[in-house]
Amino acid sequence: MYGRKASQLVKELTGGEKGQLKAFNDDLFNQVIKECSSHHVGLQALFRNMQEEGLDIQTTRNADFYGALIHHLSLTRNKRCLMAYMYNRAEVIRSLKWKLGRVLPNELVTKLSNSEKEYFKGYSAALDAYMNEMNLDLTVDMVPPKDPYIQVRVLDDIGEVLLTDRSANLARYSMHFLKRTDAEQYICQGLMEELLS
Amino acid sequence: MDSESGPADKPSGGAEELEALVSTTDVELLKRAWRNEKAAPEILRFETHLIDRVAGQLQLMEETVDDFVETGIDPLTVSLYQMDLDRTQFLLRSYLRVRLQKIEKFMFHILKTNELHDRLSKQEKNFTRRYSEVIGKHLEESVLLNLPDNYQSLLRQSTTSEEDDMVPEPQMDAFVVCRAREYVGPSELQDSNKSLATDLLMEMEPGELFFIPFKRIKKLLENGKVDLV
Repeated sequence: MYGRKASQLVKELTGGEKGQLKAFNDDLFNQVIKECSSHHVGLQALFRNMQEEGLDIQTTRNADFYGALIHHLSLTRNKRCLMAYMYNRAEVIRSLKWKLGRVLPNELVTKLSNSEKEYFKGYSAALDAYMNEMNLDLTVDMVPPKDPYIQVRVLDDIGEVLLTDRSANLARYSMHFLKRTDAEQYICQGLMEELLS
Repeated sequence: MDSESGPADKPSGGAEELEALVSTTDVELLKRAWRNEKAAPEILRFETHLIDRVAGQLQLMEETVDDFVETGIDPLTVSLYQMDLDRTQFLLRSYLRVRLQKIEKFMFHILKTNELHDRLSKQEKNFTRRYSEVIGKHLEESVLLNLPDNYQSLLRQSTTSEEDDMVPEPQMDAFVVCRAREYVGPSELQDSNKSLATDLLMEMEPGELFFIPFKRIKKLLENGKVDLV
């Protein structure tokens, strides 16, 4: 049936948790693209028929015309589905920049298509350029601050780092009382957790 | 970076001045701008002067806190100032973030609508230009260039579409909650679509809350007569 593959593609977006990315479905994606081309071929064949019969495409409403119309509508629907698939994935990819910073972990990179990898780089660059011009890092401070300092436990060996007010040795399983803005980046990367009393 | 307005604008120095500076209306104004921006479906005008002033004040506050730390003032006092600083910083960042999200979402709509594009800050315009190239290229390479000729437009479904029918636009008739800042008469609540306005004649008293489609209070919001909540 026309359009079924495209709808399967869009359904890929809904499965799984929100904000999670599935591997880019190359196979299905290309099948939909192929379907588009065959619609186009079908469409042109029907138009040629009409021309050979000497009919005016603008005004004639015969079986060939409606056949061509079905092809056209299926094609635009497929296009919308393809775009929705890319666009919604792009949204998730953007959120990764906010959560993880410039560099993506390998298991995520393998889920992206080549164009999506480029897209991530391009988006990162555009956002970084904006933050540079504003002289402000927007990726910290994502939740309204309650207390400027928070209690954290380090989950992985981070080592000696320079914080805004001092340097600290963030050894694994050590606990610290840090400025929220300092801690946030590590929490996002899963290297640290906030201890809630 | 001096602040341009506000009655409490005095040469800085001691703790009192700082306190006065913090309590100037600028932070309140920022809070208002932030709330409005968060609740409005479309992007609002960038508060250029306000943001400049707030950025200047933040820098001043940071310096003061640093001074306090160096001169060994009571840590509790320092942490109170720090808290205040953090709150304002959050507001500023969140304000800029909300705007970026809207720009990303309605990018192509904003780019082709001069009125909206003019509302962006210089930096936001740069971002829009850069980012639209990135997403345009991405969509073209993965989808559009693989489609038949007549179907390659980013903005239209096909060459037979009469208008740009692939561009997401903000929903202007989305309902918002707003509070009137001053009296608003029925004539000011007119909608461009007259029939809608006449079946619902109403007026607003200061402080009253209303649940109303955004497009009907759009002008009032721009004139500062209502605030979104």
